[in-house]
Amino acid sequence: MTTDVWPDRASAIKTEARTRRITSLLIFGGAALLALLPFAGIAPFTITLLTEAMIFAIWAMSLDLMTGYTGMLTFGHAAGFGLGAYAAGYFAREVTGDFFAALLVCELVVLSVALAIGFVTTRLSGAAFAIVSLCIAQVLFQIAVAWRSVTEGMDGLVGVPLPRIFGVTIHNGREFYLLTLLVALMVYLALRQLVASPFGRTLSAIRTNADRAAAVGINVALHKWLVFVIAWAVAGIAGTLMVFMKAGTTPMSLYWVESGNVLIMAIFGGLGTLLGPMIGAISFVFLRDALTTGFAVWQLAFGVVFVIVVLVFPSGLAGIVSLLRMLLWRARS
Amino acid sequence: MDLNFLFVNILNGVVYGSFLLLTSLGLSLVFGLGRVVNFAHGALYAMGGYALIAVMHAGGAGYWLALAVAPLLVIPMAMAIERATINPIRHRPDVDTLLVTFGLSSMIVGAIEYVWGTGTTLLPPPSPFTGTVDVLGNQYPLYRLVAALVSLLVSAGVFAIIQFTPMGLRIRAITDDPGMAEALGVNIKRLLTLVFGFAAGLAALAGALGSPIFAIHPEMGMNILIDSFLVVVLGGLGSLTGSAIGAFFVALTKSIGGGYFAEWSTAFLFLIVALALIVRPTGVFGQGRVA
Repeated sequence: MTTDVWPDRASAIKTEARTRRITSLLIFGGAALLALLPFAGIAPFTITLLTEAMIFAIWAMSLDLMTGYTGMLTFGHAAGFGLGAYAAGYFAREVTGDFFAALLVCELVVLSVALAIGFVTTRLSGAAFAIVSLCIAQVLFQIAVAWRSVTEGMDGLVGVPLPRIFGVTIHNGREFYLLTLLVALMVYLALRQLVASPFGRTLSAIRTNADRAAAVGINVALHKWLVFVIAWAVAGIAGTLMVFMKAGTTPMSLYWVESGNVLIMAIFGGLGTLLGPMIGAISFVFLRDALTTGFAVWQLAFGVVFVIVVLVFPSGLAGIVSLLRMLLWRARS
Repeated sequence: MDLNFLFVNILNGVVYGSFLLLTSLGLSLVFGLGRVVNFAHGALYAMGGYALIAVMHAGGAGYWLALAVAPLLVIPMAMAIERATINPIRHRPDVDTLLVTFGLSSMIVGAIEYVWGTGTTLLPPPSPFTGTVDVLGNQYPLYRLVAALVSLLVSAGVFAIIQFTPMGLRIRAITDDPGMAEALGVNIKRLLTLVFGFAAGLAALAGALGSPIFAIHPEMGMNILIDSFLVVVLGGLGSLTGSAIGAFFVALTKSIGGGYFAEWSTAFLFLIVALALIVRPTGVFGQGRVA
């Protein structure tokens, strides 16, 4: 007996293409809108928040590649971010404020550390990987506190100059915001290409069932290692932008609270969709700004929201969208 | 090398190891029973310290009474949390319970900061153990030795319960083969709630007992949580014997290394654990499981 898994394959492909078109439209329309915002006379503070949101969006997408697409849950994704921020910030302060040079140095540092750490940790899976990821980030945090001659301890690295691109200084505010937006868009497009490629499909296979993936000849350890390194590298880009935006960084950028923040952004938006983490990051930044009357209240509110989202909306905003679509479809038929 | 300096560091390591043993046992038990990695374990440890302060200040109780009461306050709280958040999602992928306990950790720490503020409190050693004692020519705080002894006794009690009581038998059965245990009539759901509360009680006891040694502050649970994680990863998740050996290995490495290399010892310790994981991914003692 032959049963077609896709009884309506042609229409399924058509639907997928249409979804892709809609997402593209949403992304480019959204990017254009976001690019025009600073010229619409909004407050400088809002521009700062938007810049931060775009940086977090890059960071959350890198987590999504690892957790959402490959199924490697990490509680230490602040590691690549904070490490990148320190590397880029230290280089920019000591040598040159050139953006690309700092980014290059940041990537060299992040890549070498990620290659080494990833080699060990990606042999673990599930809970063990989650635990060890948290431990790594906390170890980096402690090194950042202890290695005073470079990191200046708890005071943090300060005095990072304004970034320069081809000799032109990028000022904070509108200019830096547009740079960040451009980088975020490029990261999004690159990651979208990546997850749609055969490599990306392989990652999904590993997430769905690692044993089966290994049985059909996929080198699971190698793929997980690569994803780990790519995710850290992208997180490093976000860290570089952040260190220039804040003109410095502190060990808190490596703290577990930050790892929790980026995780909730991705989950809130919806894991396994790149658009979700972006929307999650934007919501997170503005929600936090609205709720920060005191850190204690924020931390408590954050925990409550985190638990409720996981319990009630495990697939995030993206899940709500598909739920609505299903209800709509049911109502129509 | 100054031998006395080394000796004091070893002593500190043994004291810290006995605290680590209390927290790691709870972590390991809960994992073995329900495949739940409890990221909120450190927050529950902190709750123990704050429950102690609350009973002492609000209730006007002495230290020893408060030490006995504090875990009893945390246990029902933890059981309620388990019932409300972890139990309903046990059929979901493991990832979800990890996420929930991570969120719970943030929630509990946030609640502590909201109620008690972000300050640090260091309690004086309680009477009659306020003084120091002469150990091979070194003056060592007496309370530390007493606290270590209490931790070791309680840990021995936990081992005895697991080994010799009917409840311990059920716990071992579930850890061994949950499907078979359930088929034989063990109520996993109820036992998990119970053990979760019990483990939280151990963490809270450690937090309360340690408050005259380590300071009380909202983030106090994070370092011991990380160390406990290293312990259970090293000893094998779910293996109690592994946890016991791992606890002292981690504590001694940290404290002896810390005496000579300051904060770098943590990074060094992590390197050891990483190497151990390359060689034995299921923990050094091999009986544990890596989910």
